[in-house]
Amino acid sequence: MSAETPLLEGRRFEDVAVGERLPVVELPLTVYRLVMAAGSNRDFNSIHHNSEYARATGAEEMYANTSFLMSAWERSVRDWMGLAGRIRGIRGFRMRSFNYAGDTLRVVAEVAATRLEGDVGVVEIAIRCENRSGVSVGPGVVEVELPRRTDDGATADTTTADTTAADTTAADTTAADTTGQETP
Amino acid sequence: MTAAADTEQDWQADWQPVIDAIGTDFAEGAITWGGDAVERGAVRRYLEPLELDCALHTDPEVARAAGHADVTMPATGVIAWTIPAAWQPGQVLFDSADRDAQPVHSAINNADMTLGPRTTGFFGTDIEVDFLRDVIAGERIGRRGKTLLSCKPKETAVGRGAFMTWESEIVTEELEVVGRIRIGTYAYVPHAKDAGKAGKGDAS
Repeated sequence: MSAETPLLEGRRFEDVAVGERLPVVELPLTVYRLVMAAGSNRDFNSIHHNSEYARATGAEEMYANTSFLMSAWERSVRDWMGLAGRIRGIRGFRMRSFNYAGDTLRVVAEVAATRLEGDVGVVEIAIRCENRSGVSVGPGVVEVELPRRTDDGATADTTTADTTAADTTAADTTAADTTGQETP
Repeated sequence: MTAAADTEQDWQADWQPVIDAIGTDFAEGAITWGGDAVERGAVRRYLEPLELDCALHTDPEVARAAGHADVTMPATGVIAWTIPAAWQPGQVLFDSADRDAQPVHSAINNADMTLGPRTTGFFGTDIEVDFLRDVIAGERIGRRGKTLLSCKPKETAVGRGAFMTWESEIVTEELEVVGRIRIGTYAYVPHAKDAGKAGKGDAS
């Protein structure tokens, strides 16, 4: 997060604690959703939209593709951090089992580590996909940069900041902390 | 040494040329460009199956307020937006009316592997990505190079083959490096009982 980045709504580095759980994202893997996903992320391999074909390759059903699963991690992190953060790395995105049509994908995550790199707040989020068979993708890490909050309630990168927006962000963060988070 | 051990050694030895090539850029620096530039409509469609609500990707005014020239591509879009076009004018893509017939060629396969045993099974195992900066609508990105970082022969439940890790740079048309992606794959010869079920070039 550069010093020139204007203030945006979303989570601040100082608001984050190790062990904090992100809201669980649930994505029912309907055929409809998987077909939309294949069309939008351009992975048209038939194993992702054709049950008959997928079964011929040894799978039980058509299953979600890599782009969709990885972007589900992005959805989870973006839901949590809002507009202010930036995703800068994904590690440990390991395919462990198929995520079949007819199952529900659950993205489960929590804050694993925080650190400062100069003025940049860096948060490592431990994250994984689960389905009816257990962990299906990961566990891995999404690394994000979050803006910092200064002592006066504004942020460290306030080129166009106003404190009203910062106060609103704080209120939203509190609300997010108390919504239905589940045990990873 | 038993005959079985000899066989074991032989099939792994077939992968030695690939192991020796660790560090080689199999693409020789060539860039594989995505089929299209990043554009607002495609970004919106990318978000739909995810139900991902982020104004940076949909609202140009919000994106501009954040210092961007236009809406940003979701970070994980580096995969989708570096897949080349499926079809070019003049090409025949579908040459069969069979229900499950595959296109004549696919951008997602292992067909360009020039060393080691011929394999028919192939799937992706893991991915790491570094996102150096956001990609903006209007930019076109591609994957430059395909450097082999590791090769480990291993027999698994589905066949005999090797786990390999490949690294590419994500570049813009101005050749700015905006990311790096490392993709793990398993290329294999299916066990006899699975030979008829071999993967169809799946890298996903």
